[in-house]
Amino acid sequence: MQVFGPNELVADVFQKDLCVGCGACTELCPYLRNHRGKTGMLFSCTRAQGRCYAYCPKVEVDLDGLFALMFNAPYEGKPIGIHRKVLTAKAGLRMTAGKFQAGGVVSALVTYALKTGLIDAAVLTDRKGLIPVPHLVTNPEDVTKFASTKYMAAPTVAMVNKGQQQGYKRMGIVGTPCQLTAVAKIRANPLQKEEFADPIGLAIGLFCTWSLDTRRLLAFMADKLDVGRIHKMDIPPPPAEIMVVETDQGRVVFPLSQIRALVPNSCSICPDLSAELADLSVGVLEGRPDLNTLIIRTPKGEDLARNAERDGFLITAEMPTENFEHLCFAAGNKKTRAFEQLRERDLVNTDGGKRAALRVNASTLKRIGVE
Amino acid sequence: MTVLLTGKKGEQHLLMGNEAIVRGALEAGVNLAAGYPGTPSSEIIENLGLVAKDRNLYVEWAVNEKVAAEVAAAGSFAGLRTLATMKMNGVHVASDFLLHLALSGVRGGMVLVACDDPNAHSSQHEGDMRYFAPMLEIPLLEPGDFQDAKDLLKWAYELSEQLRSVIFFRSTTRLSHASGQVVLDELPANDRRAEFRFDGFILDDMTGIVMSLPINFKHPQLQQKIKQAADLFEECPFNTYTGPPNPEILVISSSASSLYSIEAIHLLGLEGKVGLLKLATTWPLPRKLIQTHLAQARQVLVVEEVLPFLEENIKALAYELAGDIGAKPIFGKRDGALPTYGELNPDLVAGALSKITGAPLPQRPDSYQQRISEMIFFGAPARDITFCPGCPHRASLWSIENVLQMDRRKGFVCGDVGCYTMALHPMNFGSLKTAHSMGSGTGLASGFGKLGRFGMDQPVLSVCGDSTFFHAALPALVNAVHNQSNMTMVVLDNSGTAMTGFQPHPSIEKNAMGEIAEAIDIAKVCAAIGAEVALCDPFDVERTQEALFQLIEKKGPKVLILKQMCALSPEKKGFRKYEVRVDPKACLGEDCGCNRLCTRIYRCPGLVWDKPNKVARIDEIVCAGCGVCASICPAGAIHKVLSENDKGREAA
Repeated sequence: MQVFGPNELVADVFQKDLCVGCGACTELCPYLRNHRGKTGMLFSCTRAQGRCYAYCPKVEVDLDGLFALMFNAPYEGKPIGIHRKVLTAKAGLRMTAGKFQAGGVVSALVTYALKTGLIDAAVLTDRKGLIPVPHLVTNPEDVTKFASTKYMAAPTVAMVNKGQQQGYKRMGIVGTPCQLTAVAKIRANPLQKEEFADPIGLAIGLFCTWSLDTRRLLAFMADKLDVGRIHKMDIPPPPAEIMVVETDQGRVVFPLSQIRALVPNSCSICPDLSAELADLSVGVLEGRPDLNTLIIRTPKGEDLARNAERDGFLITAEMPTENFEHLCFAAGNKKTRAFEQLRERDLVNTDGGKRAALRVNASTLKRIGVE
Repeated sequence: MTVLLTGKKGEQHLLMGNEAIVRGALEAGVNLAAGYPGTPSSEIIENLGLVAKDRNLYVEWAVNEKVAAEVAAAGSFAGLRTLATMKMNGVHVASDFLLHLALSGVRGGMVLVACDDPNAHSSQHEGDMRYFAPMLEIPLLEPGDFQDAKDLLKWAYELSEQLRSVIFFRSTTRLSHASGQVVLDELPANDRRAEFRFDGFILDDMTGIVMSLPINFKHPQLQQKIKQAADLFEECPFNTYTGPPNPEILVISSSASSLYSIEAIHLLGLEGKVGLLKLATTWPLPRKLIQTHLAQARQVLVVEEVLPFLEENIKALAYELAGDIGAKPIFGKRDGALPTYGELNPDLVAGALSKITGAPLPQRPDSYQQRISEMIFFGAPARDITFCPGCPHRASLWSIENVLQMDRRKGFVCGDVGCYTMALHPMNFGSLKTAHSMGSGTGLASGFGKLGRFGMDQPVLSVCGDSTFFHAALPALVNAVHNQSNMTMVVLDNSGTAMTGFQPHPSIEKNAMGEIAEAIDIAKVCAAIGAEVALCDPFDVERTQEALFQLIEKKGPKVLILKQMCALSPEKKGFRKYEVRVDPKACLGEDCGCNRLCTRIYRCPGLVWDKPNKVARIDEIVCAGCGVCASICPAGAIHKVLSENDKGREAA
């Protein structure tokens, strides 16, 4: 992986409007900060190499390198990535019924990982009004407070950086594909310094087709409802085509066509729907609002799911073929669209010293049909 | 006790130009003086304040120059001799009143001392105030040296009472702030009583109503006064000529430029060919005097600073006189012999004379030139214009810049006049995006804050100092509140008119004479107007940024007062609140995570980069102990502990 510095980050990410605000470049130094969902450079930094660039999921992402690190395998561009099992799942009986979205699998897995000491802290995402804010949780009982999807691009990875400074060595993180790409880059310790060694104990991925830009969503909703009173947001599975916002003054429904206009530009170059760089990935299951889809990717993820099920935190079942195929179809579509975008914008496998957003082996690129 | 008070008749003293002006006012028996601080004029009121008690004077730092002129005029209307002082910007501020004062006339002698700053050493422009004289129709005097500064001022009072007109008295930086030998005269008894009479015939100068109306009476009367002034100027003893009876070149000059002219004539050895007419009465010009000298000379060079004011007036006169004296070539600025901007110096004047006469300029020896080049190249370290160590403005602007950069809506700050104007410079965070006159930052912000309907969604801020707040920012804030402009005014309150030397202003509990004065609370004023007000110590960086974030998110007019005394204020200087040190082991230096934030970006002069060891350290001689760097260090490597002297002070 090639590592550049903050000036290149500004040129490649901010100036090209590719920042998704994941927070990976923040909480590392005083120069890059995320405020109200938007990341920016406060003052100039002259370093030729920096963790800001090295951790960013939108520049010089060497997918083969990251797949080798996580799975000891090359990146083959399969729709839902490398997986050992794909199951349906829901929280087990040991989980107190809370305000889960869908099956509560993420809350169950994080609670269990914290209880058993697999992780020493969990990096989760909270919301203040409409602003997503990362949280570091060490008490398993607190996990469910942060349940429910936020839908906004959140600076969650910032908390990984902060947690590392605070001395946590095996943090668990729940993140979207872009956030987990950043986390995988962090785990690779690109500056090869002892103090920046892999601080992650568990990565749980969330399915994501796109997220929403916090500032744009704020501006959009500001004159339609009191954003301070939102307590839940939901995008029901197709064919609903709506976003439902629950406030303590009642329910407000927006057509998805209006909401899609608030998607950050950088989502269009993301080839990952199922958070491939995770130990386990979790998403909704179409037609079953009480269940989740659970993709088990690594031996560690497999052990966790098995033990959680054994100890009553998780219940799993076979995945219906139809659902599996539909998931692969959707994930494959996102991948193809993203690679087309990447090629169109000359952001993949560039040569001649030109920096790329993404690099993958040539045969995979060919298989996806981009080259 | 000051020599300005104790100096006896006939004694010779080395006085600064502004001190000579003060002594001149005292010798004229001045009773009342009011001014607004502004370099290079500030020492006049300061010195008068020191002798106020002994000379039974009333001396005032007014809220702004217009009010200073009004306070001085009130004294004059009641029969006293009065003085108003200001820098050239102030004449613009006061000009509305002065336009009317010229027409209404004065009673007791009133002189307005205005100090120009050619080259803008301590200003944001180098405006030439002389043009106000013909525009407002007020006679203009200019002292040519330090003795003149005293004696001409005294003469100005006689003139003012003869004409019943306010008199402009113009100084410049090199006259106000340089020093020269001055022979003193005696101080008169000071026993004028004040009474304002208004019971006579309505149009009577001394007993009627003091007003600029009716124009068809007052304007011709004023122009009659100007004619009378021109006649009196024919005999003014401060217009002097030195040189041959029929000079090849006549240099006409005034103010500090006449000193440069004397030196330049001497430098070129042209004493036998070039004569110098030093004019003290530069508007209206004494026609006959000019005619006599023009007639005797073959060519003329007008030497003056900044714009060709004198040159244009002399050319107009020469045109009218051409029938009698013939056409004379007149050189100056319009032909490019001298520049129309910046200060003059003897070299520039010598260059102009050399060009006209062909006299060779004395050459510098090569060895001298060589030495200069070496010293510039090797010897002179580059220095940025920057805030002092411990300056609260650095902390305030640091917070403002951090907040605006984090906010990322392209927010900006409308600047104003004060030390904080240095924040225009990228080395001082470059937060200010406009800079004009006093108070105009808030006026501009009031305007910018109404552009939302045209699609502008950038946060709008203004900054102003505590003295500037009262001077001219207050009406702008009233405007912003009344019109519900979306802006945030940040008052950088450093407890005094710091940039000009800590003169008191309306929120300080003392006046120009050192007496107790009523202090006006800025926060209460803003709240009473109807603005949302927050108050923070800028050294508390975290709270300041939090408060600013909250304010810029809200609509409407808001005020954030950042109150912390100037590091150089007499009350604070020498006291270090904290002893500060850098832990070299914790300092990240140039590593990822810091990259010298403190010495490269924050740039307090109290922090130095230890190059061999690649760590920051504190310059203990320079550090003022504010402790702000400890809160900006990302590695927590800068430690502060309450210093011994501060503990002692707190205990006391």
